[in-house]
Amino acid sequence: MNDQDTGMPGIPKEEFLRSVRESLGRENAPPAQPYRRLTETTEDLERQASEVRQRISENRPALLDKLADMAQKGGWNVFRAAGGEEAIGYIETVARESGATNIARSAQEVFNQVPVDAALASLGLKVTTVLRDDANSREALREEIRQAGIGITGADYALAETGSLVILPRRGLSRLVSVVPPVHVALVRPEEVLESLDDLFLLRRLEYHQRGGEMGSYLNFITGPSRTADIEMTIVEGVHGPKEVHMVLLG
Amino acid sequence: MPEIKTQEFSAASAQAMQNPQLQRALDRVGSGFDVARLNAIEEVTPEVWDQWRQEARDIKVHTIEHLDYYLDLLHTNVTAAGGQLHFAKDADQANEIVAHIARTRSVKVATKSKSMVSEELGLNPVLEAMGVDVYETDLGEYIIQLAEETPSHLVAPALHKSKEDVAELFAEKLGIPYDEDIYHMAATARTVLRDKFMEADLGISGANFVVAETGTLVIITNEGNGRLCTSAPRIHIGITGMEKVIPSMQDLATFLRLLPRSATGQRITSYVSMITGPRRSDDEDGPEEFHLILVDNGRSSMLADQALREALYCIRCGACLNICPVYQRVGGHAYGWVYPGPIGAVVSPMLVGLPKAKELPQASSLCGACREVCPIKIDIPRMLLDLRKKTAESPDDSQRSAPQSERIIAKLYARLMSSPGLLRSAIRFGRILQSLGKFAPFSPLTKDGNWIRKAPLPLLSKWTRSRDLPTLPKQTFHELWEQGISDGPRDE
Repeated sequence: MNDQDTGMPGIPKEEFLRSVRESLGRENAPPAQPYRRLTETTEDLERQASEVRQRISENRPALLDKLADMAQKGGWNVFRAAGGEEAIGYIETVARESGATNIARSAQEVFNQVPVDAALASLGLKVTTVLRDDANSREALREEIRQAGIGITGADYALAETGSLVILPRRGLSRLVSVVPPVHVALVRPEEVLESLDDLFLLRRLEYHQRGGEMGSYLNFITGPSRTADIEMTIVEGVHGPKEVHMVLLG
Repeated sequence: MPEIKTQEFSAASAQAMQNPQLQRALDRVGSGFDVARLNAIEEVTPEVWDQWRQEARDIKVHTIEHLDYYLDLLHTNVTAAGGQLHFAKDADQANEIVAHIARTRSVKVATKSKSMVSEELGLNPVLEAMGVDVYETDLGEYIIQLAEETPSHLVAPALHKSKEDVAELFAEKLGIPYDEDIYHMAATARTVLRDKFMEADLGISGANFVVAETGTLVIITNEGNGRLCTSAPRIHIGITGMEKVIPSMQDLATFLRLLPRSATGQRITSYVSMITGPRRSDDEDGPEEFHLILVDNGRSSMLADQALREALYCIRCGACLNICPVYQRVGGHAYGWVYPGPIGAVVSPMLVGLPKAKELPQASSLCGACREVCPIKIDIPRMLLDLRKKTAESPDDSQRSAPQSERIIAKLYARLMSSPGLLRSAIRFGRILQSLGKFAPFSPLTKDGNWIRKAPLPLLSKWTRSRDLPTLPKQTFHELWEQGISDGPRDE
């Protein structure tokens, strides 16, 4: 607690919990029947996670097909690229058609496999890598993202169940690259595919345990373009986030 | 808290039924949301759907029964992630917490993503009074903020407005030319609010769920405004009801399957943001401070009432509104407070006090459609009946829903129905009156003589004002029985 917080209104936790307890008519005690998921140890989760990984590695081609199908249903433009070159070719087309002049991309490993910068620069586009250093402050990078017509990111996971891209915090990955520019391109590698929401949350919980209770500041899903139906229930895409989203599946 | 108009339900609903524009808007709800919901269930199969519902219900039952325990766990984990968890016993306290944070951090501009709890608290006027510019950023919420109105639906707050209304509003408030193209209007909102997202010092969000195991706040949006509100400003405050906690992150799988499908028929929304604490030192961006405010504001009274406790399982999907024959005709504003529809008819009386909202539990035909569609299998009709019972049995005469005259009639009716002799004489007497009715200058009977359109005496005519009463048959069941009815009725 810092100085700003002296005199913070509200009531103390104990008082609040006591009133909840009184309303429930129960004693201050953990549930008599502990909640199964909360009793799992790191070893339990590791065992389940290795089963998940095994299942996925055995079904990867089918899962990638399902991912492509569900992503398309969810509003992604899906492109399956045989390799980095095809992926770059597709991104060039997206860039040309969007009329963008500036591009912001995250700094992620996948860009070693798909080195887009040179190709985009040769189209006369300005490409900014969103990675903080002495020359690039948070504020400066944010302004670059605002100016960008396209944001390009990698993925941490992609869910076949829902066609969702899943992004976790890391150095070189801004939360804004995938939401501020009007076009988002996501690069997904085959090893990032998961079958279901259950798989994802299991793996996240395992990492949380392994890292001694650190979840990371966010876990973001993106499934298709930004949309609204708030005026007469007419669907309009691109209201606050991107209007156009592309999932480039490598392999 | 915002102004409470639950007392005016009868008048407001009568008015709503006379509003053709509102009726058109409400027609879209059933044909849009509910059809989409049914298609989504068909895709996963009704069997699987029902299994998910049961799982979700089991999780909610367990959590609410041990709510204090999970709130404590949540506190531990929000704090461990570097966030602050605040407890507010009522609306004033919650608003004061936000005001305190805004004041001590010199907040000038705040952006908000949709939060029904903040509507319940009446937060915006508090911030505005201290000089903070507050912008609702969900398109529907932005529209009603400009119009200085309140939401009329849990997931589509500006549902009652036509595109012409919005075009006029934008022209007047934003000083732009009138343009009723929906795509252009959405683009206008994007442009106006884009600057606000970037300028804002404070982002305020609600929470669809909060996870005790990890201290994570979960918000589900389609527009992306939730993501922007919680990513761009330097402070993020989440505000939510204390009942939104769930034990494990893994429980989210079930709820993320149920909520979007029930609300809009989507398999998942465009954005799901799960936020755990402020940005870490390695993150490229994100808020420096993360606050979560848990609000009681009357919820402990629901918790304390065994009959109404399950109203706290609600995940605010709006499916019960979309299917409700009453909501579909009267709309959200008639309910007179933040939470409309069948679930609102349970929640509002508990949060604003039953005496003020005693008409709401009557606003139901008890058809049970809300229970059928509820993703958490909440037995709303049972709770509506319980609230009616509470009203009927109120020790304070003025608080009872039925007037003295109706109660006397009900007593007489009970006496009549429990005495066969009396009932027979009454039927004979009734038949005489009925045959006399034919000679009355304005017959109270329908042409075919099967229904009484207007009962005699002002006392009884009130009852037939909105429904017809069947006439007495030539022979009652009793009479037929005595004659032997083994070969069928002989009414012809």
